[in-house]
Amino acid sequence: MATEYGGYMGKVLQINLSTREVSEYPFSDEERKLFIGGKIMAAKILYDNLNGTEKPFSEENLLVISTGPMTGSGAPSSSRFNISTLSPQTGYITSSNCGGNFGYYLKKAGIDALILKGRCEKHTWIEIHNDTVKFHDAEDLWGLKTSETQAALDEKLRMKNGRIRKNGKICIGPAGENQVLYSCIASNERVSGRGGTGAVMGWMKIKAVCAGGTKEVPVAEKEKMVKHTQKWFQYLRKHPLTGNQLPRLGTAGLVSSMQMRQMLATKNYQYGQYEDFENISGEILAEKYNIVNKGCLTCPIKCARTVEVNGKQVKGPELETLVLLGSGLLNNDLEGILRWNYELDELGLDTISCANTIAYAMEANEKGLWKNGLKFSETDELSDIFEKIAYRQGIGDELAMGSKRLSEKYGGKEFANHVKGMELAAYEPRKAVGLGLGYAVSNRGGCHLNGGYLTILEGLGLAIDQTTYHGKADLTMLFQDLMEMISATGECLFTSYAFFPSPLMNHPNAWYTKAANKILPYCGCVVRIINKFPEIACFHLPVFHHTKAFEYTTGMKMTFGKYIRCGERGYNLERELNRRFGVNASQDVLPKRLVKTLQNPDDPSSRVPLKKMKRIYYHARGWNRHGLPTESQLRKLKINSRR
Amino acid sequence: MMVVKLFGVVRLQTGVSCFESDAENLRELLENIPGLTKKEAKDLIVLVNGKSVGRNYRFQDGDEVALLAPAGGG
Repeated sequence: MATEYGGYMGKVLQINLSTREVSEYPFSDEERKLFIGGKIMAAKILYDNLNGTEKPFSEENLLVISTGPMTGSGAPSSSRFNISTLSPQTGYITSSNCGGNFGYYLKKAGIDALILKGRCEKHTWIEIHNDTVKFHDAEDLWGLKTSETQAALDEKLRMKNGRIRKNGKICIGPAGENQVLYSCIASNERVSGRGGTGAVMGWMKIKAVCAGGTKEVPVAEKEKMVKHTQKWFQYLRKHPLTGNQLPRLGTAGLVSSMQMRQMLATKNYQYGQYEDFENISGEILAEKYNIVNKGCLTCPIKCARTVEVNGKQVKGPELETLVLLGSGLLNNDLEGILRWNYELDELGLDTISCANTIAYAMEANEKGLWKNGLKFSETDELSDIFEKIAYRQGIGDELAMGSKRLSEKYGGKEFANHVKGMELAAYEPRKAVGLGLGYAVSNRGGCHLNGGYLTILEGLGLAIDQTTYHGKADLTMLFQDLMEMISATGECLFTSYAFFPSPLMNHPNAWYTKAANKILPYCGCVVRIINKFPEIACFHLPVFHHTKAFEYTTGMKMTFGKYIRCGERGYNLERELNRRFGVNASQDVLPKRLVKTLQNPDDPSSRVPLKKMKRIYYHARGWNRHGLPTESQLRKLKINSRR
Repeated sequence: MMVVKLFGVVRLQTGVSCFESDAENLRELLENIPGLTKKEAKDLIVLVNGKSVGRNYRFQDGDEVALLAPAGGG
C-alpha cells in the first residue's frame, strides 16, 4: 500500500511461516499518521490481530519487526528498529528496541515492517532482497552462536551471489532456539534484549533474517532536512551528555553517579550502594579496557565500548550489565563481566533478566529456600551457568524460567525483582521513587525506559528530591509518552538528553538549575494541561530537534504537543492491548522489598510510595481506578476500543 | 586531612582519580582542585558523605568527599 508520506517505504510485509505465504499487510496513510511506526505501529498490528486468548508460543502470536519514518533518514542516531510480540516472560506485549543496521537495510529492501506468523516446518532462515523473499534451510546454522551465525550467513550470501551484498541481519543464539524465556535477538553486536523476543523467534524455528536492497528512503523536504540535520548533529556534539559524557564513558559512566545517589542495585536490590563500585565503574572501563568507541549508523554519540575478550575485539558491557553482574551479585571482577557480557550476547541471553534471575537464585539459596549452590560473591562458575541456561541443562533449565516463575516454585516472591514477569533494570528505586512508579506501570514489565526513566531527574542529570512523590506521576507520564514517540520514529532515546538545555547540565550549582530542581516536582499541573490540550504546545522547541526533523522527513505537520499526543496514543494502545490479556492495577506492583522495607532504616522515606503515586498516575492518564483506559480516553486518542 | 575522589568526565578530564586535601571548608577545597580552574570547579556536584552541602560547609574528620558532573545513560 503506497504512501504519500516521506520517511516510509509504503510496505508492511507479512510472512506466514506455516504456509510460506508472503503478502502485503494493509496499513493506510491514516494509520501511519496516528500510529507513526516502530513500537506504536507494531502495537497497532498486534492490537488488530490479537484478542486476548493467544499464547506467546502459538501459531496465533506475531513477531513484528518495524522501523520508524526516521530510520535511514540520515538524522542523527536514526538506525533503530523495534521488535514486538507477546512476551513469553509476561504474557503481555513486549517491545524491544535495537540499534545495529537491520532497520536501515529493511528499508533498503522497501519494507517498513515485517510480520512473522505461524511456525516453520524445519529450521529456516529468510533472505529478503528488494521485493524477493526466499526461505533457506537453517539446519547447519542451528546451534551456532550469534556472531558465528552472522558470519556464516555472510559466507552463504557470498557463495550465492559471488560477493556480499550489503545487508542487515537479525538472528538468535542457542538460548532462543531452546526458548529460554529471556532470550534476545541480535543484530551485529547489538541486541533486541528484553522481553524474550528471541524465544518467540526460536519457537517459530527462524534462525535468522537477512534484508537488503537498493531502495532509497524518501525524504519529503530534503534540503530543509539536510540543513536541520547538520544543526542537530552539531547540537548533540556540543551537549554535555551526548557530546562529552556518553562518548567518553558510555552508559557505564552512570555507575559512580548511581552509587553516590544510593541507587546502585546491590546484592539483589538489598542495598543501593556497593563498597567495591569503583572496580566495576565506567571510569575504570574507559581508563583500562576501552579500545575504541563505536556507534550505530549515523550516530554522533558513539556510546558503545570496545574491549578485548579472548584476544578478540568485542562490544563492551552497558551500565545494566555492569551493575547487575557486578554489585547485584557482589562481584567486583570487571574482567569477568567483560567476558560474561560477550558470552551472554553470543548465547543470545538478555543480560538484565539473566543476572537478576541468578541474583534471585543466590538469595533463595542463602535463605535456604532453594539449595542450588549459588552464592553471592562466588562467580567462578558463571560461564558454565550461562551455557547451562542457554542449552537448558541441569540447573540452567530452571534458571531459564526467570525469577517470577522460580519464586512461585521456591518462594521468596518479596525478593524476586520483576514486574509482570520481566526483571528490573539496574536502578534501585527506593532512592529514585519516580522510577519505582515507572517500573511498576510499564507496559512491558520491569523496564526503566518504558517506565519513563525519571532517574535522569532524580539525581543523575538533574537533582530533584529523590524520594518525594510530588510530581513524579505526571513527569513519568510525560517522559513515557515522549520516549514512546521518539522510539516509534526510529530515533535513539539518547537523542532525548538534548531535551535538557546544556546550561542546566553544565552548571548544576547555578541558581536556575537549583530553581529547576525545586520547581519540577510541582510542575504536574503544566504536564496535565499539555496532556489535555496538546494544541497549546503548537510549536517546536529549540532544544528538541525531533519534531522539525519528523516534519521535514515525512511531510506531516508536527508540533511538540502533537508529538506528545502520538506517544500517549501508543502508550494507551499497548495498555489497552494488555487489558485484553488481563492487565489491571493489580499487576502494576513492585516486589515487596522495594515498597515495604526501608533501604536505609534511619530514613523513613527510603522506600517507594507506590500506592499513592499509582493513584495520581492513573488519574493523570485518564484511566480508571483499575488502571485501565476509559472508553472516552480511547476515543480521545482515536483508538477503536472494540470492547 | 581527607581523601577527595573524582568521578565521571571530571576524572577523565583531569586525569586525577583522588587526592588528599586539608581544606577547612568547601569553598577552599574548590579553589584547589588539581587540573581544574576555580571557575570549572564551581560547576562540580559535590557530595559529602553522599549528601549535597552548602559552599560554607566546614569539613569534619572522616568526611568522604566526591566530585562529579551530571550524567545520563540507560
